[in-house]
Amino acid sequence: MAEKNAAAEAACAATPEIALERVNVAPAQTWNRLRTNDITLTVPARGRAGDVYFSLPRLFEGVECGMGREVTDWAESQAAGARYVEVPRGEKREEPIVVAVGAGEVADTGVMVREGAEATIVVAAGGEKDGEAGTSASLLRVIAEAGARVHLYEYVSAGAGQHLESVGISAGRDARVDVHQRLLGGATVALGFACDLADARARIDLDCRYHAGGAEVLDINEIVRQRGRKTRSELSYSGVLEGAAKKGLRTTIDLIHGAKGAQGNEAETVLVLGDDVVNKTLPTILCDEDDVAGNHGATIGSVSPEQLAYLADRGLSREDAEQLFVRALYEEALMNAPCDEARAVVDDSIGDRPLLNHEDDDSKGVCPQLNHPEEA
Amino acid sequence: MSDQRKRTQVADVNRSLYDFTKSEEGYERYDDGLTPEIVRAISEKKDEPEWMLEMRLRALELYHARPMAENWGPSIAGLDLDHISTYVSPKTKQAKSWDDVPADIKDTFERLGIPEAERESLAGVGAQYDSEIVYHNMRDDVAKQGVVYTTIEDALHDPQWEPVVREYFGTLIPPTDHKFAALHYAVWSGGSFVYVPAGVTLPYPLQSYFRLNAAGAGQFEHTLIIVEPGADLHFIEGCSAPKYYEANLHAGAVELFVKDGARLRYSTIENWSKNMYNLNTKRATIGADAKMEWVSGSFGSHVSYLYPTTIMAGDRSSCEFTGITFAGATQDLDTGCKVIMNGADTTASVSTKSISKDGGVNTFRSSVVIGRRADRARCSVSCQSLMLDDISRSDTIPAMDVRNATAQVGHEATIGRISDDTILYLMSRGCSEAEARTLVVNGFANPISKELPMEYAVEMNNLIKLEMEGAIG
Repeated sequence: MAEKNAAAEAACAATPEIALERVNVAPAQTWNRLRTNDITLTVPARGRAGDVYFSLPRLFEGVECGMGREVTDWAESQAAGARYVEVPRGEKREEPIVVAVGAGEVADTGVMVREGAEATIVVAAGGEKDGEAGTSASLLRVIAEAGARVHLYEYVSAGAGQHLESVGISAGRDARVDVHQRLLGGATVALGFACDLADARARIDLDCRYHAGGAEVLDINEIVRQRGRKTRSELSYSGVLEGAAKKGLRTTIDLIHGAKGAQGNEAETVLVLGDDVVNKTLPTILCDEDDVAGNHGATIGSVSPEQLAYLADRGLSREDAEQLFVRALYEEALMNAPCDEARAVVDDSIGDRPLLNHEDDDSKGVCPQLNHPEEA
Repeated sequence: MSDQRKRTQVADVNRSLYDFTKSEEGYERYDDGLTPEIVRAISEKKDEPEWMLEMRLRALELYHARPMAENWGPSIAGLDLDHISTYVSPKTKQAKSWDDVPADIKDTFERLGIPEAERESLAGVGAQYDSEIVYHNMRDDVAKQGVVYTTIEDALHDPQWEPVVREYFGTLIPPTDHKFAALHYAVWSGGSFVYVPAGVTLPYPLQSYFRLNAAGAGQFEHTLIIVEPGADLHFIEGCSAPKYYEANLHAGAVELFVKDGARLRYSTIENWSKNMYNLNTKRATIGADAKMEWVSGSFGSHVSYLYPTTIMAGDRSSCEFTGITFAGATQDLDTGCKVIMNGADTTASVSTKSISKDGGVNTFRSSVVIGRRADRARCSVSCQSLMLDDISRSDTIPAMDVRNATAQVGHEATIGRISDDTILYLMSRGCSEAEARTLVVNGFANPISKELPMEYAVEMNNLIKLEMEGAIG
């Protein structure tokens, strides 16, 4: 680890940095003294003087991204190029569109899913590459035309590095988007996600699961704009926080005037296992239309004494019992990983976490896949 | 059937009860604007101790230095302190009998029902008219128990209570808190000082009523309440003003000190007129085993920033916040509460309702902060918003900051309209559509109104229920 840090420091020393101040901002903010409205990040700023910036078709400029304009501009300036993928009308693309980024890499990707088409997109991101920590970033913009189906998987494990992930999706009439976010740690992980349900009956189902421990920082900003009639959003968040992890989650369901019959639901469950955890949540519902329904629910807490007692009766210590929840999170991520790159992210993350990698104890029986995924 | 379904139509709150004005002829009115000279003049008029003048002048500097947050909250662009008089006073002395109150002012409070309420159900009343308290009285039996209910100004001139005021005043809401807290401390005038000795339970509530009659003026009353260990108090605060086209400003401050094992219920029906900027600050700190109960109804004002705050410093303390906000045309009401849980085994419960109509904007804003020492703290927050038309707006912005692994926090928020199924069900049982919609809105508000003292519950029902009848289409 000391070598890693030394390498990272050396890399930092060689690359100029800039501060992206007040990014990942929610559409509606609150008291600044709570320090929950945004995050400030220090990122490398490699000079691109003289380079040609290959950018996405201008159409993508209209797609709102979760981390905001400043991060979009930075990512566009740092990416080696812009990758554009189009899934033709009515076609179901079997091969996932994979965006893999490691330390020091920045990806700028635009995906056009034409009317009635279907695509799977995977962002597999780590802040480490070949054992070196650094900053990685992915800027992903997706346009899902009428009736399109988009399956988005975001697997992030930044190790000792930092990762920025900014996603924007525009969904047309009857388009359906399902999002599976698996945020498995990193010194600093900032994720911004925005989805515009722009036309009638567009729908998003988002399932975000996260784990942060040690001194890790996790900052999430998710925005769903419900513009079309009878649009639907179902947002689910569950996570485990340990040690002195700091988590900020800002979610916004924006029920825009004219979105008659729209429904937006959001639920969060947080398991707090560390005495020094800082867990901040800002679940916002903005409503500019009467014929809508918006709901939010949150539960924040620890494993109850009753649950611990039950598990203790079955021979599990408190730590074992708590780690069950962590293992379950990784196990699910591993089992549902859509491609090798995503599985590699989970593997890397497990490798960084001694508690999950009990090679010399008998805990393999609890979750064998975590220790030997190839046997699963 | 089209998506455009029928909506509940609710008339504006009938403000005729409050929309009457009295002449300011003969009143003392300071120049508009905010200068050190005006601040000195207010202090001199009140013959204050030097420390208070110094506090005022320091607060004035803070007011000018502090910016207004630009990234959240309703616009207050229409508020210009250069067109606000910070001190307006009728030429009368504080009375202990309504017979000694000038006829026009007495008539005002009679129309608002204050003397009648005092006779029937209150242990004491303070009535403020513009910048000064014009009437203050308390039952003898309550006074004999050692309860003090007076003005801050009188307490400052009492050798027994001046040190107490000095010890507590401005400590819970410091002038540095925000821009309008600083303004408050620069020009505060009027308000109440309440001291309840240890172990004393008041059988009836105390009530302060604040009436702002003057146009283009501000009201900056300060309420300081100390409830000693084991004591019990219910304090009621009411406020109203006639409507003008000039902006009026209310920037009061309420500091509540609830000691170990004590209980304080603080009930407010805020019914300012729709030209009022209501930038009020309320805060309580509660000790071990103490209980703080807020009951808050916000119906008036053009713009409101109102978030009663409870600092739960003591172990096993508890807090309940029950609130309703009704935003109609031209209103942008940003209301909610803050709870800071620092003690172990503390419990907090927040339940709010809001109704938006005719383009009114409701924002529920809250924060729950659970500190590292708050082992086994429990908190639940519930926020329900009802939209009565599609030109109104309702936002919920609840923040939670949890720093203790053993704490449990639950939060739920819902926004929606009255469902057609509900109306159909009630109509199938014999209600007209109008009755059905009235029933639903009243049922929505009922959990709040039942927490209010009777006369305020009636007032609230007048504000909601009676206005709906005959106005639903």
